[in-house]
Amino acid sequence: MFLSRIVLRDLDSIDSPAASMASSKKLVTRDEWERKLRDVKIRKEDMNRLVMNFLVTEGFVDAADKFRVESGTQPDIDLATITDRMEVKRAVQSGNVQEAIEKINDLNPTILDTNPQLYFHLQQQKLIELIRAGKINEALEFAQEELAPRGEENQVFLEEIEKTVALLVFEDIKNCPYGELLDVSQRLKTASEVNAAILTSQSHEKDPKLPSLLKMLIWTQNQLDEKAAYPRINNFSTAALEDPAI
Amino acid sequence: MVANEVVAAAAAVVEEPAPASAGAVDPMRLASRWRSPAEWGAAAAEMEAEPAPSELNTTNSSGLFAVVSTDRMSVRYLGVNQHGHDVGVVQANRPAPTRRAVYYFEMGVKNAGQKGQTSIGFTTENFKMRRQPGWESNSCGYHGDDGYLYRGPGKSESFGPKFTSGDTIGAGINYFSQEFFFTVTVNFGKEPFCFDIEGYIFEEKMKQQSVSDKLDLQPDISHWIVRSYLLHYGYQDTLNSFDMASETDPPSNHQNGYGEPPEMYGLSHRKLLRQLIMSGDIDSAFKKLGEWYPQDETSVICFLLHSQRFIEFIGAGQLEDAVKYARSNLANFLTHKAFDGLLKESVALLAYEKPAESCIGYLLDSPQREFVADAVNAAVLSTNPNMKDPESCLYSCLEKLLRQLTVCSFERRAFSGDQGDAFLLHKEVQSCDRSRCS
Repeated sequence: MFLSRIVLRDLDSIDSPAASMASSKKLVTRDEWERKLRDVKIRKEDMNRLVMNFLVTEGFVDAADKFRVESGTQPDIDLATITDRMEVKRAVQSGNVQEAIEKINDLNPTILDTNPQLYFHLQQQKLIELIRAGKINEALEFAQEELAPRGEENQVFLEEIEKTVALLVFEDIKNCPYGELLDVSQRLKTASEVNAAILTSQSHEKDPKLPSLLKMLIWTQNQLDEKAAYPRINNFSTAALEDPAI
Repeated sequence: MVANEVVAAAAAVVEEPAPASAGAVDPMRLASRWRSPAEWGAAAAEMEAEPAPSELNTTNSSGLFAVVSTDRMSVRYLGVNQHGHDVGVVQANRPAPTRRAVYYFEMGVKNAGQKGQTSIGFTTENFKMRRQPGWESNSCGYHGDDGYLYRGPGKSESFGPKFTSGDTIGAGINYFSQEFFFTVTVNFGKEPFCFDIEGYIFEEKMKQQSVSDKLDLQPDISHWIVRSYLLHYGYQDTLNSFDMASETDPPSNHQNGYGEPPEMYGLSHRKLLRQLIMSGDIDSAFKKLGEWYPQDETSVICFLLHSQRFIEFIGAGQLEDAVKYARSNLANFLTHKAFDGLLKESVALLAYEKPAESCIGYLLDSPQREFVADAVNAAVLSTNPNMKDPESCLYSCLEKLLRQLTVCSFERRAFSGDQGDAFLLHKEVQSCDRSRCS
């Protein structure tokens, strides 16, 4: 199998319709734009699915169930699996890493087997929690027995272990250079990694669709700015059209 | 054997502008929602419509090829290959389509001949049909005898492996990255393409997405938009669960800085009206609406509720009641042009023995109820004395953003010579499902 590519503009004198009109920006008036907006056809059903996808992926299990009843939209995953997933996520968020590992294995033992990085991050989180709780001996033992062998396999893991173990050396943990490991954000980071791995194991995308569509809107508006002046939406929470700058 | 394609820009389609509707809030603007599935399919196809090459162009060939297959997919070189103008060229019957992320085709080399001089590439329509693609301006070609890529007079470079009899060669245009690409595979008889073009497109989409994924969003904006959607349509139970879960969820500052959405108005009324309509209990919905938000008897909302009541009679098999109801309640609306379409279709349900299986059977389905419920919802929202923007009664924040995204995406494509695929929500939502299956 062979795949190779060349860039279009490398061609000998290809005529590009886009290149010839790059000189001045086209102005689209508000009236024109609003008419275009009105002509767009969007199914309610598709919006409902977008919202359901958000509720399910973000783990709003009760809301997803209510939404199923109120809007008649079928969730794209078995709702019971959300409850399990959220329990695991909450366990990590509250620092009960061992509980989380057990629950993940109950859910699907292959998740951690096929995901060495996730397993490492959970163990690292466990070490962080031991240090936070001041269980120095336990932390040392755990680091030597469970974590150190993993560092020998992998350079990135080794660096992470070194940073984490460094926490033990500092009495005033808050001022330690790696103090951010003790921050809530580290738990949230690990929790969201766990969440993503479980979703992937259930053949579901790990991120909701909505944020990526919103980003697509930012990107597309930016791209269009180069060619035209048109009513933009800058504030997504009001979705108000702003008059084009002339 | 030389297969060949043409690149040409297709003209943009300019649609007739729809007349702007007068009046503050016209719930009939939601009417595009009650299209039948067939109409939706046709509308989507129309947006995407673009003829693609389907066979070889056998009339405009160099004359050195004779068509050998009846499906016009294979040709044999009959010339005598002595110098550079003895080349046989054949093009596809249509230009390469542009309104998609990627266009791709393949050719199988059955017999490369003694010198093995075969090539594949892209040319313009009026290309000299006795020259190899890539030898002339405005063309490019990947040549099998030397594995070089040619892209205009005197421009060539070592590119890939040589190819010959038994190989399958592909050529494509990636409109997003603005690149041509070529593939070589040994044919395992896999249909429809030897090269995993679906996988290629998927990867390219991921690349596109990773570009925009790097952009920053206002914090928790998705959460806010979902919440205002639930408020807008009066999905109150969902909203309550959503709010409750958000309170116990650690990053609980979801509502930070955005203030209360303007759509709290009439929430519990709107919830109940939706429930009644969605369950088919139009009589109760009518009664409650009249009690809380009296409507003019000739209003759009009354018409929609009456026609829905009629449809519910038919759904329940009570044809006599349906006729009686139509005579006393629907006949008055016959003079209104705006109601014509829906009215005719609804009444036509009477003509079928099994209306649910007819071509207008979708009227009996829940999307039709939902359309009426959404219209009633908009009518209630429009009675809010604090309402500033009538548009907001019809469209949630989410819908406004999706409309903006659709228009921006199509406009952007129009500026780039109509190249690339544009955003369509339906396609996007379906692709969620598809990626799950794979």
